[in-house]
Amino acid sequence: MMAFEMPKETTDSRIREVTLGTTDVKVGGENVMPFCLFEGEMPNRPLIAVEVYDDNPQEWSPVVAQPLADVLADPVAWARKAQDEWGADIIALRLRSTDPKGDDNSPEEAAQTVKAVAEAVDIPVIVYGPEDVDKDGDVLKAAAIAAEGKNVVLGPAMEDNYKTIGAAALGYKQTVAAKTPIDVNLAKQLNILLSNLGVDTGKIIVDPTTGALGYGLEYTYSVMERLKLAALQQDDTMTQMPLMADVGVESWKAKEAKFPAADEPAWGDENKRGVMWEIITATTLLVAGADIVIMRHPDAIKTVREVIDNLMG
Amino acid sequence: MEKCKVCFHPEDRCLEVDKGENLLRAAMQADVHINASCGGEGYCGKCRVIVEKGEVTHKLGVKLTEEEVKQGYVLACCATIESDLEVRVPLETQLGDKSALTRRPPIPLKGYTLTARDWAERLPQWELNPPTAKFHLMMDKPTLEDNLSDAERIKRELSRLADMKDVVMDYPMLQSLPGLIRASSFDVTVTVLDRGRDLRAVRMEKGDTSRRQAAIAVDLGTTTVSAQLVDLQTGEIIAEASDYNGQISLGEDVIARIIYSTRSTGLAKLQSAAVNTIWNLIQQMVEKTDIEFCSITHMCLSGNTTMIHLLLGLDPRYIRVDPYIPVAQHFPWIKASNIGIRIASGVYMRCTPGVASYVGGDIVSGVLASGMFNSEKLTLYIDIGTNGEMALGNKEWMLSCSCSAGPAFEGAGVKHGMRATRGAIEQVRINEVTLEPMIITVDNRRPLGICGSGLIDTLAELFLTGILDERGKVNLDLETPRVREGNNGGEYVLAWADESGTNRDIVITDVDVDNLMRAKAAVYAGISVLLEEVGMEIDAVEEMLIAGAFGRYLEIDKAIIIGLLPDMDIEKIKFVGNGSLLGSYLMVLSKNLIAEADRIADMMTYLELSTSNRFMDQYVSAMFLPHTDIEKFPTVKRRLQEARETARLGSTNPGGGED
Repeated sequence: MMAFEMPKETTDSRIREVTLGTTDVKVGGENVMPFCLFEGEMPNRPLIAVEVYDDNPQEWSPVVAQPLADVLADPVAWARKAQDEWGADIIALRLRSTDPKGDDNSPEEAAQTVKAVAEAVDIPVIVYGPEDVDKDGDVLKAAAIAAEGKNVVLGPAMEDNYKTIGAAALGYKQTVAAKTPIDVNLAKQLNILLSNLGVDTGKIIVDPTTGALGYGLEYTYSVMERLKLAALQQDDTMTQMPLMADVGVESWKAKEAKFPAADEPAWGDENKRGVMWEIITATTLLVAGADIVIMRHPDAIKTVREVIDNLMG
Repeated sequence: MEKCKVCFHPEDRCLEVDKGENLLRAAMQADVHINASCGGEGYCGKCRVIVEKGEVTHKLGVKLTEEEVKQGYVLACCATIESDLEVRVPLETQLGDKSALTRRPPIPLKGYTLTARDWAERLPQWELNPPTAKFHLMMDKPTLEDNLSDAERIKRELSRLADMKDVVMDYPMLQSLPGLIRASSFDVTVTVLDRGRDLRAVRMEKGDTSRRQAAIAVDLGTTTVSAQLVDLQTGEIIAEASDYNGQISLGEDVIARIIYSTRSTGLAKLQSAAVNTIWNLIQQMVEKTDIEFCSITHMCLSGNTTMIHLLLGLDPRYIRVDPYIPVAQHFPWIKASNIGIRIASGVYMRCTPGVASYVGGDIVSGVLASGMFNSEKLTLYIDIGTNGEMALGNKEWMLSCSCSAGPAFEGAGVKHGMRATRGAIEQVRINEVTLEPMIITVDNRRPLGICGSGLIDTLAELFLTGILDERGKVNLDLETPRVREGNNGGEYVLAWADESGTNRDIVITDVDVDNLMRAKAAVYAGISVLLEEVGMEIDAVEEMLIAGAFGRYLEIDKAIIIGLLPDMDIEKIKFVGNGSLLGSYLMVLSKNLIAEADRIADMMTYLELSTSNRFMDQYVSAMFLPHTDIEKFPTVKRRLQEARETARLGSTNPGGGED
């Protein structure tokens, strides 16, 4: 009798391997759909980037603010703690203090933080601007200069400012995160535009925009999956970039994640709820094809790390 | 037509053109760049060339000195070719285009347009056998022995003369019958209409009027209405006329008109506007010829579903709302006078049947005229207008769909857009190195605006020269005064105010490009979804037929560069011209084809694009120049590389023409 043999779909295509930072951390490189290790290989495990804010966030749910209370006001300490205690693979530094709708700090001030954080940790750093099309250009340019030699990921580069951010990345040898609104074609178009600008296709990470559980998760899932399929099955070189999911921000925006149990008793224990929200969003998108998940709560980070360990065998 | 050989130096590029061709147009055809900004009115004086050998006739140009004329200088735009020519393009006119020597050979500008010769092969069903016929009857007067009624007498004679059985008499004819038949001593001419299912005597005239018979073919378009007066004996087109649809002032597109029709007297107003437009065209045509109104015996008319509804006064409101249901798909022969077209008594008219709410009789008519329903070859028929309507198939099956392209290709929604009338920029070349344009306008007038084909040319040239990026945004970093920041984002100046006919700069802006991108993306997405639906690649298409207003001027390779049409062998692409009018014309003359049109309408399957997100997905991926997936456009990829290379060579070898 013949033994059962699992049908396999193999491909010669691969996701590009992108080097982050300066200490040989790599992301991507897989030639299989997520965790289908019986068909191929994932030479680099998916990475967890831990969020660090530069504006001492005040509006957060105590469930997530509490464990971070000692570092919320100090991005450098926060980043160190993420690296040393929670085992962050990457630091995702958000320069929200520069937001023109908020504190509107100058790019130079923010650049100081970038420099300090990048020097305080050994792991790679992602620098995200305030997501303001005009301000991002100035802020990320200053960040690119401040972090010269650190190979940070600058983002989000979007259709309307990719030239400025792409040029900054080119000039100071940084990597770019390209963000487009949940659409395979738009994601691909931005990759083409960036590579036409001269950005090496091996220095682009794709942020296809994240919807959290209950807030468009299925759209993000579908777009990530389709990007991976195009990259691997159709050998579409302009979709073979590693994918990044912005999980922390989006999960903790959900009212189901942050409302206190006193307001919504039927929703259950608030201390578990938000963390679960973040875990489910992250694991779902890992299965969809995320190579990097940006996360917030230490407990969620711990669990998702275990999930990745298990899935990687 | 006598041919002349024209050679341009220093490129040494030669071509054969008709004697009498304009020299600037010949240069455009040979792909020799000559700076020209005023469209060919001799106003800018930039297109100076030296005729070294051969004859041209030259409009007296104020821009040349006597000395220059002696040296053989002419303005290319004002020179008519009279013999074989050797022409030297001086360096100042080339503007340093050293790399011209290495440029690709020209691609034929215009595609192949189907002509009468092709129809013989494509439409074996066609025969000169119109649905109406006149019979001159000379009957015996009734007697006590031969006491048949007047009507039966006519029937008997028709049966005897033309083997026509069971002819039904139209009621108004009966009313005039006894008086008229006696006043003419039983010598009358009867017009019989063959409606397919029955024969109907529709008109009776005194004496013999069967010598002259004519009919009318109409294309009732949303924007333009075209008509032809056709001789039924010879099949010749005696007169043609066209005009804007009078409904335009009541709404620009079909949706706006449907909304207007739901107002109190809206439908009646729209109907009468359409009727007036058609009536004026008929009048114009009759006045041009010796045909009398009473020689006209029937009409065939094709239009989109909404236009036919409005013309017939049928409530179109359910066309607009889910699930998009028209009143009827097939329309009976009706008396033209019933809707107010009073040509003569007993003139019947027929509207070509449609397929669905958004694939109407205009497409059925075009498919009929193109002969694709007879073809073994897999054919893609596209009618590019405000709606991009298309059909894919062959004699076995046909699938059709419709997508909203918007009016950009007709010049609407574009800052300096216009219809292809006098002064419209219709051809454009832009030099890769200097970024200077070469433009040609309709009738060689100073430019007033840009028409559809000019817009496609402009877009393609701007993209090839790198002035536009893949998103269709003007690159403002270029060092040329022609690129600048305007009120609507970036813009490129095609003609400066002092060269234009409007005394304003003629520009194309980011917003214009955006509208054009949307239009081209919609058409391309429609094509993609049709092919996807049947699981085929574009390579499987053996023939592509293009109909529509600009079918005559469109440059295929440019349409491919911008991704309006799929990248395919140019030989496979043919133009039909106004397919809807052509089909109407053919049906006017041949009742076989009227029956075929019914069959085509029934055999076409309609694909509703609004019910799936596949269209949207294809649309977004086509909102890029030429397309998000450049691998689908291998020739464009190659040309882009060539163009970039030329630009690079040009910029690293400066000074070619700056002496």
